[in-house]
Amino acid sequence: MNQNQTADLLKRSMPFQTVPGEMLEAIAKLARYESYARGDVIYHQGDFADDVFIVSSGAVQHTLGIGFQATHPEKIVRSGGVFGWAAVLDNQRTRMAKTVCMERTELIRINGEELINFFKATPETGDIVMSRFATMINKEYTMPEEVAGHVPHFTQVPVTVATGLSLTMFRLSQWLKSPKPYLMMTGFGILLATWYLAVEVWKLPRFADMPGLTTVMKEWFSKDPVYGLSIWTPEYYQHIWVSVRRILIAFFLATVLGVPLGLFLGWSKTFREYVFPVFETLRPIPILAWVPLAIIMFQGSETPVIFLTFLASFYATALNTMLGVETIDESYSRAAACLGASKWQVFREVIVPGAMPFMFTGLQISIGVAWFSLVAGEMVAGEYGLGYVINTSYTMVRYPTIVIGMITLGIVGYVSSALVRMAGDYMMQWRVRELALGGR
Amino acid sequence: MNANTQNQSAVMSDTPKPVVKPSEIQVKNVSKSYGAGLFEKQVIKDCSFTIERNKLTVMIGPSGCGKSTLIRLLAGFEKPTAGTIELDGKRITGPGRDRLVVFQESALFPWMTTHDNIMYGPKARRENTKQNRGLAEYLLEKVGLSAFRAKYPPQLSGGMQRRAELARAMINNPDVMILDEPFRGLDCMSKELMWEYYSGLFEESHRTNFFVTTDIDEAIFLADRLLIMSNIPGQVRETIEVDLPRPRRLAFVFDDDRAIAVKMEALSILHKEAMKSFSGGSKAASDFVEAYSKRSAAAETAEQ
Repeated sequence: MNQNQTADLLKRSMPFQTVPGEMLEAIAKLARYESYARGDVIYHQGDFADDVFIVSSGAVQHTLGIGFQATHPEKIVRSGGVFGWAAVLDNQRTRMAKTVCMERTELIRINGEELINFFKATPETGDIVMSRFATMINKEYTMPEEVAGHVPHFTQVPVTVATGLSLTMFRLSQWLKSPKPYLMMTGFGILLATWYLAVEVWKLPRFADMPGLTTVMKEWFSKDPVYGLSIWTPEYYQHIWVSVRRILIAFFLATVLGVPLGLFLGWSKTFREYVFPVFETLRPIPILAWVPLAIIMFQGSETPVIFLTFLASFYATALNTMLGVETIDESYSRAAACLGASKWQVFREVIVPGAMPFMFTGLQISIGVAWFSLVAGEMVAGEYGLGYVINTSYTMVRYPTIVIGMITLGIVGYVSSALVRMAGDYMMQWRVRELALGGR
Repeated sequence: MNANTQNQSAVMSDTPKPVVKPSEIQVKNVSKSYGAGLFEKQVIKDCSFTIERNKLTVMIGPSGCGKSTLIRLLAGFEKPTAGTIELDGKRITGPGRDRLVVFQESALFPWMTTHDNIMYGPKARRENTKQNRGLAEYLLEKVGLSAFRAKYPPQLSGGMQRRAELARAMINNPDVMILDEPFRGLDCMSKELMWEYYSGLFEESHRTNFFVTTDIDEAIFLADRLLIMSNIPGQVRETIEVDLPRPRRLAFVFDDDRAIAVKMEALSILHKEAMKSFSGGSKAASDFVEAYSKRSAAAETAEQ
C-alpha cells in the first residue's frame, strides 16, 4: 500500500476526516501496513496498547471484555473503521477487547505514542482529531467520563483566573513596565513647565498678575500660609469635605432616581411617550439658569446647591441608561422569553445587565457634570466648599488660593471618576474581559 | 439479561438524561402576509406540512422564501393570517417552553458565563434542582465546553458559542426543538464538526427536531425528512425521505450514491425555484431563462 492510499484510508476514517491533506501525508508516514489471515488474533484483552488500527479491507471482530459497558459488546469493524484507540489514551494503555480477523484483512497501524507526539507540534488539529476520537468512544461506551477523560489535550486551556491582591500587584507591575506612567509624567511636566515659564521666567504680558507655580506651591505646602489656606490648615479639609458631601448626596440621588427612570424610559414605550418630551424640554436649560429658582424653592444654603448638582447628574444618568436599554439586541429578550422567563424576569435579568455598559458611561459623565454644577452652585449660594473658596479668594484678591482650589478640584474630581470606573469594572467583569479581548 | 447489560442500565440511570416526550407539529394551510391594502405582501401562502414525531425534519429553500417567518409563527411570536399550527392537536397561540427556538443570531447573554447561560432556563423557571445542575454538567461535557464553563460568551469561538446555545436549549427538554440556520457563518471545518455534535445529540434522544437551512450538504447530512420550499410566497414544494442509516459519516454522505441522488433531486428543484426568483415574476425574463436552459440541455446532449 503506498502513501497516497494510506492517506486516502485515513481520510475515510472518522478521527482523521477533517485533517488537511499535507498533514494526512505526514501521518501516513507513521503508518505501517499489515495483512492478516482469517482467524488471526490481532490482540488480546489486557495486552499493552501500542498501536491504533484502521481497517483497509476485510472484517475484524471486536469483542469487549466483561466490565466495560459497551453499547455493543461485540461489533465488526470493516473498511474505514478504527479500533485499538486505547493506544492514544493517557494512563489507560491496556487493551479492553479481543480482536480476531473474520476474513483476510488488510489494515494499517499507527503507533499511539508517535501520533500523540506528532500532534504536539500541531495542537489545533490534534485537538480536533482527539475530540473526534472522544466522540467515537462516547458513542460506543456508556462510561464516557472514564474513558474519554483519558483523551489527551494539546492546546493549553487556562482554567484558573488570578484574582484579588495578586492580580492587582500583577497589573501594577505591568503598568510600571509599560510606557504609560512615564508618558503621563511627561504630560504633567509640560503643563507645569509652561505655567512656570510663562508666568515667572518670561513674564508674558497678561500673565504678569497671575500666581506663579512656585508661589502657589509655597502657599499650598506652607505651615503658615499667607492667605490662610494650605494643606496644614483644617479649613482646607473642611472645604473639601463639604464639597465631597454635597457631591455624594447629589450623585446618590441622581443615580437612585436617574437609573430607574432611564430603564423605564427605554423599556416602556407608553411611559416614554409621557415623560420623554418633558424631560427633553427641561434638559437643555443650563444649570446656572436654575440658580434663582433653586434659592427661592429651597431653604438655607445647602439644599439649593445639592439640588443644582443633582439636576445635571440626573439628566446624564437617565439619558444614558435609556440609550443603554435601547441598544440591547432584541434577540436577548426573545431568547429569555423563550426559555421561560416572565416579563419582570426579562427586565431584571436582561434589560438591567444589558444596559449596564451605557449606564456606567452615564455615571462617569454624571460625576463629571456634578463637580461642574457644584462649583457653579457654590459660587452663588455657598458658605463652604471649593467653589466658595475660589469665588471669595477672587473678591478678596488671594490669587494663589484660587489656584489651590482649582488644583484640589481637579484631583478630587479625578479620584471620584476613577472610583466610579472601578465600581463599573467590578460589576461588569464580562464587559472588562470582552474589551480586553478587543485589545482595549 | 446478563451482568453486562444490567451494569449498563445502572450507569445509564446515573447519568442524568432528559426523558423525551416526542411531539408532532402540524402546519395546516397557513398563510402569512404583512402590511395591508396596496402594500400587502404575502410571504407564506397556503403552506401545509407535518413535523413528524421523533424525526429530524430539515427545511431548505432559496433565501427570502419565508423560512424565518415560518419559524416566528412556529415559535408563537407571530400569528398566521390564515390557517392553524397545532402541537399534538393543540393550537399554538404564543411562545412556550414546549417548543424551543435557536435563532440564527447568537443570543447567549454576554453578561453570564457559559455555565450560567446554560442554567438560565431552569433558573428562570425556579427549577434550579440537583437534577438540572447535573444535567448542565452532562451537557457541558457533551458539547465539549467543560473547560470553558466559567468563560463569558465573547471569549468563545463561533462554534463554541453555537454549541453552548444548543446546550442552553436542550437542558429545557423541549418537546420540539426548532433551529433557524444555527450554523450560518461558521467556517467550513467547525460547521462539519457542529453537524456531528448536533446529530449526535439528536441520535441520543430522537427528539422531534425542525431545522431550517440554506446549505444542501448540511440538509442531507442531518435530515430524516427534507422539505423543499418554493420561492416566495412560501410553500412546501417537495418532501424527500432521506433514509440514510444513522449515525452518518461525513465521507459517507459525500460519496454515497443514494445521498448523491437525493442531493441531485433536491438541487434540481431548488434550481427551478431560484430561477423563478431570479426572473422576478416577469414573463419575458422567465421565458428567457427557460429558453436558455433548453438550449444548454440541447448542447449537452449534442456533446454526448
